[in-house]
Amino acid sequence: MTLLEIETLKTYYHTETGDVHAVDGVSLSLSRNETLGLVGESGSGKTTIAESINRILPENGEVVDGSIVYDGVNLTELSEKELQKYRWNDVSLIPQSAMNAFDPVYTIEEQIVEVIRAHRPDTSKAEARERAQELFEFVDLDPERVTDYPHQFSGGMKQRAAIAIALALDPPILLADEPTTALDVIIQDQILERIKDLQAEINSAMIMITHDISVVSETCDEIAVVYGGRIVEYTDTETVINEPHHPYTMGLRNAFPSIAEGDQELISIPGSPPELVNPEEGCRFADRCPFAEEECYEKTPQPREVAEGHVVECHRADEAEELRPEANKKEAWTEERPKDAAAGQEGYSND
Amino acid sequence: MSTQNRTSTEDEYDILSQHYGGRSRLRQTLAAQREIFRGERLGQIGLLLLAIFLFVGLFAPLLAPYDAQEKLRTDDGEIKRMEAPSTEHLLGTTRLGRDVLSQVLIGTRIALIVGSLGAFMSVFIGTNMGLISGYFGGWTDDILMRLTDIIYGVPFLPFVIVLVVILGPSLLNVILAIALVQWRSTARVIRSQVLTIKERPYIEAARAAGGSDVRVLYTHILPNVLPLVFLYGAFSVGWAVIAEASVSFLGFGDPLSVSWGKMLFTAYTANAIRTAWWWVIPPGLSINLLVISVFLIGRTYEKVSNPELRERE
Amino acid sequence: MGMKEFVVRRIGQLAVTYWAFLTILFLLFRIVPGDPTTMFVAQGLSGEARKEVIENLGLNEPLHIQYVDYIFQVLQGNFGTSFQYREPVAGIIVTKFWNTIFLMLGAITLAYMIGILGGALLAWWRGTDREIVGLLATLVARSSPTFWTGIVLIMVFVFWLKWFPAGGIRSVGADYNGFVDKFVSVDFLYHVALPMLTGAIYYMATPTLLMRNTMLEILNEDFIKMKKAEGLSQYTILYKHAVRNSLLPIVTIIALVAGKAIGGQLLIEVVFNWPGMGRAMVTAVSYNDYPVAMAAFFLMGSVVILLNFAADLLYAHFDPRVTYE
Repeated sequence: MTLLEIETLKTYYHTETGDVHAVDGVSLSLSRNETLGLVGESGSGKTTIAESINRILPENGEVVDGSIVYDGVNLTELSEKELQKYRWNDVSLIPQSAMNAFDPVYTIEEQIVEVIRAHRPDTSKAEARERAQELFEFVDLDPERVTDYPHQFSGGMKQRAAIAIALALDPPILLADEPTTALDVIIQDQILERIKDLQAEINSAMIMITHDISVVSETCDEIAVVYGGRIVEYTDTETVINEPHHPYTMGLRNAFPSIAEGDQELISIPGSPPELVNPEEGCRFADRCPFAEEECYEKTPQPREVAEGHVVECHRADEAEELRPEANKKEAWTEERPKDAAAGQEGYSND
Repeated sequence: MSTQNRTSTEDEYDILSQHYGGRSRLRQTLAAQREIFRGERLGQIGLLLLAIFLFVGLFAPLLAPYDAQEKLRTDDGEIKRMEAPSTEHLLGTTRLGRDVLSQVLIGTRIALIVGSLGAFMSVFIGTNMGLISGYFGGWTDDILMRLTDIIYGVPFLPFVIVLVVILGPSLLNVILAIALVQWRSTARVIRSQVLTIKERPYIEAARAAGGSDVRVLYTHILPNVLPLVFLYGAFSVGWAVIAEASVSFLGFGDPLSVSWGKMLFTAYTANAIRTAWWWVIPPGLSINLLVISVFLIGRTYEKVSNPELRERE
Repeated sequence: MGMKEFVVRRIGQLAVTYWAFLTILFLLFRIVPGDPTTMFVAQGLSGEARKEVIENLGLNEPLHIQYVDYIFQVLQGNFGTSFQYREPVAGIIVTKFWNTIFLMLGAITLAYMIGILGGALLAWWRGTDREIVGLLATLVARSSPTFWTGIVLIMVFVFWLKWFPAGGIRSVGADYNGFVDKFVSVDFLYHVALPMLTGAIYYMATPTLLMRNTMLEILNEDFIKMKKAEGLSQYTILYKHAVRNSLLPIVTIIALVAGKAIGGQLLIEVVFNWPGMGRAMVTAVSYNDYPVAMAAFFLMGSVVILLNFAADLLYAHFDPRVTYE
């Protein structure tokens, strides 16, 4: 059953030099209990997609088109006040860095109690406090420490506390924005595990936002690959990993150790993310794509279904079978192409 | 620890300037100055106002229709007491028959002299204190900063009054008294700026190349804090003008010169605020406008030096 | 470092500052050009009487003995005898001290109320025309010396609208029993309103502008976005989180505002005939009544120094991060 349906969403940032098309026609759907991964480089617009859902965009950001339907209600049409009811109660957020996610002058408990009572005014303070302790136990934190101030916590503990507060109202949808990037590897794994378990326990759906395709391959049911404000490939995890149809997905796969095939050398995608200020016609990945042809620079590819439930935005998607082995070769990515040479682009790691 | 974090001082501007970004190049050229004021409408208004005041101050004796100190009489020898504005006396006359407009124009001179000299002296002392304190650190820093703390404990206006009474009421003593207290804010801000600048590689390089401390301090560090010095200079002008007006209003000003504060003092003691608005409003408004002009100019510098304050697009 | 160590260190600094202030005071009033004794001995005494007074005051002792003696006297609250009133200074100044403090506290409280709300609004209005109008109004207030603001208020509210009295602390014939009664009465409020407003207008710029700038920084913090995501109302975010966080720096500058207030206060007291320390000092200086002038100066400085001290402790208390660093 579909819980959240995003249709041709466009979110722009208004700047002095023009509108940045951070999200430029994105469609997604999320079912109950599903975990959806949004993968892409920083600046690809994946965070903006999440921020559009509960509309916590920066001042100059605006959803200009499209719909976000949750539980039969189009969230984009709600006023700020109407939307407040949905925030956290229905869609909560585990932030990228929990370092500054808490107000430094209140204890964690006060902040958990505040959010509970803001949405459930009938809850007594004592009940809310009890809930806060329960949540701390939930995320493997000492319940005694719930009355500490944020600055008394380490980075990992803050991240757990951030998960705790995100779960406070048992929201049907959890947005996890790079929930572990700020942490070291061992804690990363622990926390990912915990998020997975908890999600199963409270039956919520989750959108996991990350630049690390290996993280989503472990945790997600479906993956949407985001590039330049658009979704370039969207299907179930297994297909994305094993049979990517978009050259960008193939490139991403090469760049991460755990899923790159065999003892193959890691290859990063050269070049940098595209400029999104009033973008021109043409595929946004063309400048960096080893397989780009004339057509790619002239016409923007439209989403098409290459198999059931497998959507790709690429003019050469049909040739994916042939391109895939090519994409595994390092030369394909590092060889200078005429266009690149003219632009004088430098190699660029994709993180 | 709070006492060290706090470079907060005399005024709101100090706190704002902590974030001062050190945007400085070696020499501030006129072109750079023009760049600073481009598109800053409030700053331009400030410059225009100040230019008008400077013009009036320079040519006051020529512009003034009468001798500011002269008791004017009518044709039949009567003193023109508290006459309302007329074509003959655009801003009316005082109780002793003096022309208000002429007094306001001449008073501009005192305000500008006190403002510029007072600001120069306090910024001069403050900058050097800050440079030495920040650069040498250690016990020099301890002593100078304790001294600054102590000056912060001195109530400004009462101190100025006592000093003027002790040294005698002359314009120079008023200026001296103002500078002796006012330097404290500049000193603190310059010091914290020097602390960051002295860690920069080119300063290290200059020292390694065998530059003497004095040389490094005044040819390498000073140019980098100059914009901040200008900023404080601008605000100090405003504070000095207010301080002088206050001292004069209390009757402790230079008895020989005409100043806006003294005009208000005479008007107030003559109970003219009930009857002769034309005698009261012009000097007060002049103080407002002059101080606002330098605050607007200072604010423009501050916006440049502190990107946080710049409007986002 | 812990809170305890912080307080101990701060008390040490307080003692040093206080001692230095007392010394400055001593130097100001004794090591001045001319014959310092003229400042402490009433004019017009015969040679014999004069000598006696000088001996009584210890003015014939060497300077360092006078210095030590002076420190002890001041610490005991003994400021000598007023030339003008022929009474002990302490008795004269105590009433005036409280008159000043109440006026000042009222003005600062009002200034802070305006400043916190106004500064928060200015931050909220960033980039709009309202913001520019608000900023200009703040600058105008800041550029007006208190005596000038006072005069304008008197012209408008006293002579034109006739709403308030021109000055003084109580109506002629009004009587009061005791301390509380004096400061908690309609008549007092009626008299204190204009001077208080005058002070507030002058002092409010500092908290307003600081509040605005801190708010702008705080509103950009991650946690504000989180609070928005949590579905808290704008009101809650603005006042419970953004304003609360912005208060920290504002608390620390209370002392600075008060330091400036003491000076501005003096002018307000003169303009409104308010029987406070500041006016007493101005009068005393005019009458060469140096013991009173010195006592007033001492008390004003003490207020500034003690408030500085209190502000530091308050800051440490408010911001749990300060003492843990």
